[in-house]
Amino acid sequence: MDIYLPIAEVAVNAPLIVLLGAVVGFISGMFGIGGGFLMTPMLVFLGIPAPVAVASMANHVAASSMSSVIAYSRRRAVDLRMGAVLAAGGVVGAFAGVELFRWLRLLGQADLVVSVSYLLFLGVIGGLMLMESLGAILRRRRNEPPPPRRDRRPVWLYGLPLKMRFPRSRLYISVIPPLALGAFVGVLSAIMGVGGGFILVPAMVYVLRMPAGMVVGTSLLQIIITTGLTGVLQAGRNQTVDIVLATLLLVGGIVGAQFGARASSRFRAEELRAILALIVLLVGLRMGLGLFLAPEEPFVLMSGMG
Amino acid sequence: MAVLAALAAAVAAVPGPPLPPAPAAQGRAEISAALTDTNVQVKSDFRGARIVLYGAVFDAAARPSDVVVLVRGPEQPVRLTRKTKVAGLWLNSRPVVFRGAPGFYRAASNRPLDDIANFGTLRRLGAGVDHLPINAPAEQHIETRYGVRDVVVSSLGPDYYDWRRAVVRLKEKSGLYHEDGRGVRFVDRGLFRAEIALPTGAPTGDYRADILLFQDGKPVSAKTRTLTVEKVGVERALYVWAHDRPWSYGLAAMAFALAAGWAASAAFRRD
Repeated sequence: MDIYLPIAEVAVNAPLIVLLGAVVGFISGMFGIGGGFLMTPMLVFLGIPAPVAVASMANHVAASSMSSVIAYSRRRAVDLRMGAVLAAGGVVGAFAGVELFRWLRLLGQADLVVSVSYLLFLGVIGGLMLMESLGAILRRRRNEPPPPRRDRRPVWLYGLPLKMRFPRSRLYISVIPPLALGAFVGVLSAIMGVGGGFILVPAMVYVLRMPAGMVVGTSLLQIIITTGLTGVLQAGRNQTVDIVLATLLLVGGIVGAQFGARASSRFRAEELRAILALIVLLVGLRMGLGLFLAPEEPFVLMSGMG
Repeated sequence: MAVLAALAAAVAAVPGPPLPPAPAAQGRAEISAALTDTNVQVKSDFRGARIVLYGAVFDAAARPSDVVVLVRGPEQPVRLTRKTKVAGLWLNSRPVVFRGAPGFYRAASNRPLDDIANFGTLRRLGAGVDHLPINAPAEQHIETRYGVRDVVVSSLGPDYYDWRRAVVRLKEKSGLYHEDGRGVRFVDRGLFRAEIALPTGAPTGDYRADILLFQDGKPVSAKTRTLTVEKVGVERALYVWAHDRPWSYGLAAMAFALAAGWAASAAFRRD
């Protein structure tokens, strides 16, 4: 059952897209991430022009994050104040990112920046996560106690001005690090077509030292605001949001996410992290591979005139 | 004087696929053609279209005739980049914009074009993928070389033809360009038909089909038929909305996404 996408101007197999949405939604619900980093490369692989895939993903990520954040907020696991500060940075980052992406497309270097960002961020984060989680699994096998958690907070976090209280997270820190983190994730969301959870979650745990229970819900809130804005900006500036594509994806995605969230309770946390790390690492390497292999066809048609 | 008149006729004939100066002689050959469908509607189930063109050659003298059908879609500038190896990495070069490339092109004839007419005639008519007037005006400048004035020089240098050929090759790969030396079939004396296959990626807009009759290597008669490919229904409404009012479209799309996410969490609520 093929369906013609009015903005992407290609025909896709509708059940396949819904299934893809469901699989990515399952992974997203299981690990508490948006799943954009997995979905965008898959869509490009299926023949959807990259600018349309990146822009339409923002709508899908916003929808699936919305469906999970409500559950977290019922459990009072969302730090609204921290979310607002992160989102303020995210708004600036999203504006900058959409303009940057537009400029890169005009230069013809959008592909390069997308490949390098995937290789760099997914490679580094996937590698670190894999090492950390494998270490945890090995220690448990050998019945060793977990290493004492270094609870010392980085000094620079406290030396910066503009301090603010975050009662829910029991933090009293400068607003500059969360603002900068939000802005950085906003830029990535526009360029890579991702929510940015895979960067936000580790950064909130290891840099901002937020309590683990608050991290996922707060990062989802930030992702909704950032991707919501990115989606509107991409539609307004680049006219690349395909509502039919986004709808097909989110139908599968929101259902898959609910089942994923239930399945996650069957696995241990470190095993889940190890699986996620492998997925992240593989996607990053696959996206970066094109930079190193000689292309079969040296010429590439670029979609859109910018 | 005769030379001057011929020259004037040749100059007048340069723009567009021309009608040759009509020989006033009795019993000149004529061609006639029609399309089975002049309006292709792109709906959600659009998977490309096949349009049949049929026609007839009227020639009392029954001279050997060749028929060439050229279908061109709306012109689309093409942006092309080349992967080059820089410090071990394959990177995109600066993009080059080519103009004069139709968004869709099909050349069908009853035998290979090279057997029907010579290079100059084919080039002048834009008949065949190698004869399309594709060039990169932004890369060109005119200078005097070796004492010759008005030489067109491309900043792409000797690679220019690689770039130009790549435009055609990539369009052929996506099914948008095609040259078929057996695409026109004579089904009966003077009666012919050709099929035009539009792929899913065929651009919307006005298409033009030129049906040319060749005798003795010269175009002696021509007809032009037009064809429209347009989005209809929901597809058209969404496309127009997204392009004419992009901000309200973006806001509505996002509001819909957030509402769907909220509805899903409400529907799956178990606690």
